[in-house]
Amino acid sequence: MEQILDQLRDVVEAPIDYEGQRLAELITTVLLGAAGIFAFFIGFMTQDIKLSLYIGLAGTAITFLAVVPPWPLYNKNPEPWLPAHSATSGVQIDVDGQKVG
Amino acid sequence: MHSAVIRVQNVFGFFTTVAFCVAAMIALSSFIHPQTPSAAVRLRNVQVVRGRPHYYSYKKEEYAHIKFDLDTDLSTLFNWNTKQVFLYLKAIYPATKPNTPPSEAIIWDAILGSDSAPWHQNHYVHPNPKAKTKSKTRNANSKAKEAESPYPRGEIHLTNQKPKYQITDISGKLQNRTDVILELGWNVQPWVGALVWANKADFGMWQGLQGGMSESFTFPEIGKMRKSEDMKVEKGKEGHVLMAGEEQPVRKAGQRA
Repeated sequence: MEQILDQLRDVVEAPIDYEGQRLAELITTVLLGAAGIFAFFIGFMTQDIKLSLYIGLAGTAITFLAVVPPWPLYNKNPEPWLPAHSATSGVQIDVDGQKVG
Repeated sequence: MHSAVIRVQNVFGFFTTVAFCVAAMIALSSFIHPQTPSAAVRLRNVQVVRGRPHYYSYKKEEYAHIKFDLDTDLSTLFNWNTKQVFLYLKAIYPATKPNTPPSEAIIWDAILGSDSAPWHQNHYVHPNPKAKTKSKTRNANSKAKEAESPYPRGEIHLTNQKPKYQITDISGKLQNRTDVILELGWNVQPWVGALVWANKADFGMWQGLQGGMSESFTFPEIGKMRKSEDMKVEKGKEGHVLMAGEEQPVRKAGQRA
């Protein structure tokens, strides 16, 4: 049951690793910025404001497709968890001078 | 950017920023399109009649019926950011009281849609000077044919045009008023950006309106025309216009009630 829930969370949350997050941020900025610049200049050259609108919206759609799904590109550098310690293996947690755990 | 929801929020947030910046650029780009509007307005005929503002009104007011010629070239107002141009012709006459601004009333207007605007029933369709057909035959024609203008977009040539609105004064009296002029004005409504009024003065690459004002004239006495052209008895909105000195609406012989 817990495994199924974990898988479900992975699908819904679609996590990516730290390097992937940096990359996703960069791709968002570059793609959307380029879409805006292209939308304005192509529209201005052709004197067609509807073309501007559609280029901008298409660029945004492409950005959503490129960034939102957890493409394997964004999970190339996974950060492994530390190995689990047992409570008796010497980890001491002090709370107000009393030993906990 | 860890989870999909956060990535959606990030992309959408930056999209709004980009959209705003592009819209601002488009709005500013209107200023680098040169504008050279020009217009000539001439009075054809003016008549003052007495009528009621509505059928059940006891008050009688004087209405001016102004026919005019208009030749204008506003094609340079249409750039890629123009949605439509609202064009209007005002009659301007001095107020009777001193230290009061002159009265202005619109006698005719038109909405000129740009090519990028979708078809709308309120868009002005330029009358074709050659086609002298009556409305019945014109309705038989296809709609696409009717929408064709004989002139390029933004160009208007009207002769002896009837006013859309018959104007009255707040005092209800209009006859013998002097120094009346007709003046053309417009609003440019852009797709994005500010509504722009008629430019009377030069502004950057926008030249001010050349002409656009008629010579001054006088509203005649009731029942008299300024120019002796053949015109039928004027009817008000409600079709019961009283002529000066008469108590009953004019009814032609043989006309059924």
